[in-house]
Amino acid sequence: MKGVGIVLAAGLWALAATGAHAQTISYAQAGAQLAQSCGPDIMKFCPDVNLGGGKIHACLEAHDAQVSPQCKADYVAIRASIAKRVGAQHAIFKLCNADVARLCPGMVEGDGNLLSCLLEATKVVSPNCNQAITDAGFR
Amino acid sequence: MTSPMIRVALAVALATSAAAVALPARAQTEISNAQIVQGLQGLTENAPVITAQNLRQAALDHLNNFPGAPLTRPPLAIQLDKLAQITVQIQFKLNSAMILPASYGALGSIADALHNPVLQGYKFIVTGNTDTTGNRQYNMKLSQERADAIVEALTTVFNVNPARLEAVGLGEESLQDTKNPESPINRRVQIFNVGPLKR
Repeated sequence: MKGVGIVLAAGLWALAATGAHAQTISYAQAGAQLAQSCGPDIMKFCPDVNLGGGKIHACLEAHDAQVSPQCKADYVAIRASIAKRVGAQHAIFKLCNADVARLCPGMVEGDGNLLSCLLEATKVVSPNCNQAITDAGFR
Repeated sequence: MTSPMIRVALAVALATSAAAVALPARAQTEISNAQIVQGLQGLTENAPVITAQNLRQAALDHLNNFPGAPLTRPPLAIQLDKLAQITVQIQFKLNSAMILPASYGALGSIADALHNPVLQGYKFIVTGNTDTTGNRQYNMKLSQERADAIVEALTTVFNVNPARLEAVGLGEESLQDTKNPESPINRRVQIFNVGPLKR
């Protein structure tokens, strides 16, 4: 819990630097974890606030002093993990470009064709591209 | 659209029990993500061209043209069943468009599916539906607000491109179980694949 205290002091609702090393998790897991860690606080402090548009974020921030330490710590970690997954999904084209040219020549992009090709060729796909596919949650 | 408190309590209880055991919960969400991708994949043959605007208009026309009891109303003119689609249960606060935290995970599953490369190039309409309890106009309004809340969460928190999603409230005009119009099975969110995203 000492680590949590440091994160709290450093500015709670921002993305923590440590978060960059977090494992990526699916949006489903992120949503379920947010509900588990912050659901009670949301129902107590933000009973009419919706998730979208940064409204829950703003509400939790406004009730900073009352929100549970567990919610605060997990919230930061969840956001970091989502950010990493978004980054991986964006970077995948660049990281896998050479693999696509090498392993999927002439294949038309769309409907997940290139991904299917790369997944079938997993054993010979470059480590960076394989990692990007994993981080993006496309495996 | 007055979902009984028992339903809400049950959803919260389920979420709590799932959360207590992390691994099975994870396995479950991954399966449903795959199921969503499967359900929303591709266009069926002869799929009608549907826009959010003409769907909304069809629901309004249905409301105005068939004022009788639910069992006397014909089905909605637009044939939604010809589209690739999934039905999801999202829990809302009573008489409110607030999505309960218990359904954040389900929203995430939808987002995972929409981010999958297989579905990346397509547009979707999210519809909100009520049962026939309560005021018909109010049901229409509330279902639109709820569909809007889902689209807002998907496009802001879960990073889905806003150009790919539109929200349509169908109120009680498009029942799942037409023989039992007050059945809670009619309260649902549906997502339809409405074709390729124009680049």
